[in-house]
Amino acid sequence: MTTTMDRRSLLSRAALGATGLVAATALGSLAPETAFAAGSQFADAGQPDPNFAEGLITGRNQDLLQVQGSDGRMHRIQLTGVTSVWKLRPTTIDQAKIGDGLYARGVLLPDGVLAAEAVWVNIVNLTVAITSIARSGVQFDHHGQKVVGHVQSGTTAAVYNGTPAVSDLSMLKVGRHAQVIGAWRPGTNEIDIATIYTSN
Amino acid sequence: MAGITAEASWFCCGNAWGPCGSAGHGACGTCNSGNMQHAWPNTSDSCYAITHPDTCGISAMSRRTCGFRHATTSLCTGKRVVTSIADCGPQTDLFCGERTCCGGNCASNRVIDFTPAAFSALGLSLNSGLSPVSIDVA
Amino acid sequence: MGSEHVAAAQPLLIGLLLLWSSYSKFRDPEQADRTALPRLVGESRAKPAYQTLAAIEALIALALLAPPSWAIEAVAAAALAVGFTGFLVYSKVVVPEASCGCAGKSAKPVGYRAIARALLLLATAAVATTATAGWWSAGPALGVLVVEAAVFVMLSAELDRYWLLPIRRFRIRLSHPYAGTASSTAPLAATQRRVLLSPAYRAVDGMLRSDIHDYWDDEDWRYLSYFARYDGRRATAVFAVPHGDTTPESVRVAVVDETSGLTLYRPTVLATTG
Repeated sequence: MTTTMDRRSLLSRAALGATGLVAATALGSLAPETAFAAGSQFADAGQPDPNFAEGLITGRNQDLLQVQGSDGRMHRIQLTGVTSVWKLRPTTIDQAKIGDGLYARGVLLPDGVLAAEAVWVNIVNLTVAITSIARSGVQFDHHGQKVVGHVQSGTTAAVYNGTPAVSDLSMLKVGRHAQVIGAWRPGTNEIDIATIYTSN
Repeated sequence: MAGITAEASWFCCGNAWGPCGSAGHGACGTCNSGNMQHAWPNTSDSCYAITHPDTCGISAMSRRTCGFRHATTSLCTGKRVVTSIADCGPQTDLFCGERTCCGGNCASNRVIDFTPAAFSALGLSLNSGLSPVSIDVA
Repeated sequence: MGSEHVAAAQPLLIGLLLLWSSYSKFRDPEQADRTALPRLVGESRAKPAYQTLAAIEALIALALLAPPSWAIEAVAAAALAVGFTGFLVYSKVVVPEASCGCAGKSAKPVGYRAIARALLLLATAAVATTATAGWWSAGPALGVLVVEAAVFVMLSAELDRYWLLPIRRFRIRLSHPYAGTASSTAPLAATQRRVLLSPAYRAVDGMLRSDIHDYWDDEDWRYLSYFARYDGRRATAVFAVPHGDTTPESVRVAVVDETSGLTLYRPTVLATTG
């Protein structure tokens, strides 16, 4: 915990400009454009992207995930100290569990392991209609299937007509269409809502 | 067609986990979340009848069929991907007039939906869900 | 109001229901593709089968509604209801994602309500077979149909938007379950959007390798960190977003080498480009 505090405190001071800048020679030595051009080797249109993986976590050995892709491919995904993990909110790498679904982007190493840079666990992006609103959850119609969305206090946000996200959900209306970003609860038709985009 | 500026989102396909389990392989029968693909609102008459981009005042939405390639540049990250059509979508008419910005660049109306592989290849975060892009013929 | 009158009244309700069902099939024959018919009779025969069914429904409906009253009409309706029930059970078991295609546009898969409705139709048709007179001589027994019709409406998912959704909307207007969820703390989604809109983000976006890794608050600022690469080495990009000032220019960023604690890059002039 102390390390997290120390780390955050260092980063906070740096962001506010309270720490010194390293030698000016480092500045401008690498323009952002060059940086991403170097890492933008993507797959052909229509083909699987080798630097991306999708599927269900079937095994976990320390920080190496065994993932069964829905297209039949098997993936080995290495989580590292520089992997970001999203599971309803940014979280830690231990939160990727067996039974979870995931999307991962990273760099495919020569030994076939994907060194993950960003992992999104159980993330869903659904276009739905709101069919009922209750304290126990918001019921959605997702192409004819029922999906129940749970509100997580402190995390769930709403975007009404493209205005900035707010935590106030009291403008959700039955019958409206919405786009929902959320985290699926494995084995159920339920999700926790991260952001709901709708009109008021 | 000169590049069109529009909002992009992402969707899952290919009978994967969770609510994607019944999504199937899309209107073209080829769609997989891990492939470099996208959905287009005018792949056929019956597709157009669902997405109705004309409701949002977009009249020049070209008819393009399965496998057609588009090159898309994120107006957020500057990254570019080439993807092929694998499904019908998004439902443009549900979100007419919606506007998304990144930096100084803004775009209105949803006319393209990417697989998670393609959306993240644009350097975009899956949890932010929406981003302005510029679309061209590849 | 004897049971023979109730039986006599049934053909009116059955006839009207079949007319509605037949009309919606003729109006939108494409619905056939969403049902289990393509699986049952083959892709090419689904639409003609759907239209043939609509024609049979219309024929039986008109026979039931118009004099004379023959028991064979009710028997035909009962046979149709048995067919419906069987087809819906088949749909639910074999093609669970298929819609009912019963009446009106609905992508909803076949549910227990649709099957219950087919069974209710079967029950009314069975009662109707015992009728000895036409519905026009049923008298006050026709009042029973109002109750039956209400049950049919409640079992029809196609009609939910006309009564169920308005009731729910009204209840929420009285008391919204999420009233009081407003909070002064901005959700992370709002901070993330402010970062994306900022010149600070544009100055470093090419270096970012991960999604948001960590976030925390102090009194005046919220911080978001990402993993990045700078000049070929690992680094961390940290954004500081003020709680008070919402202008895009107020967002600050630094690229830090965490092992040495040194700041590698900090854009100084953050003017909007583009």
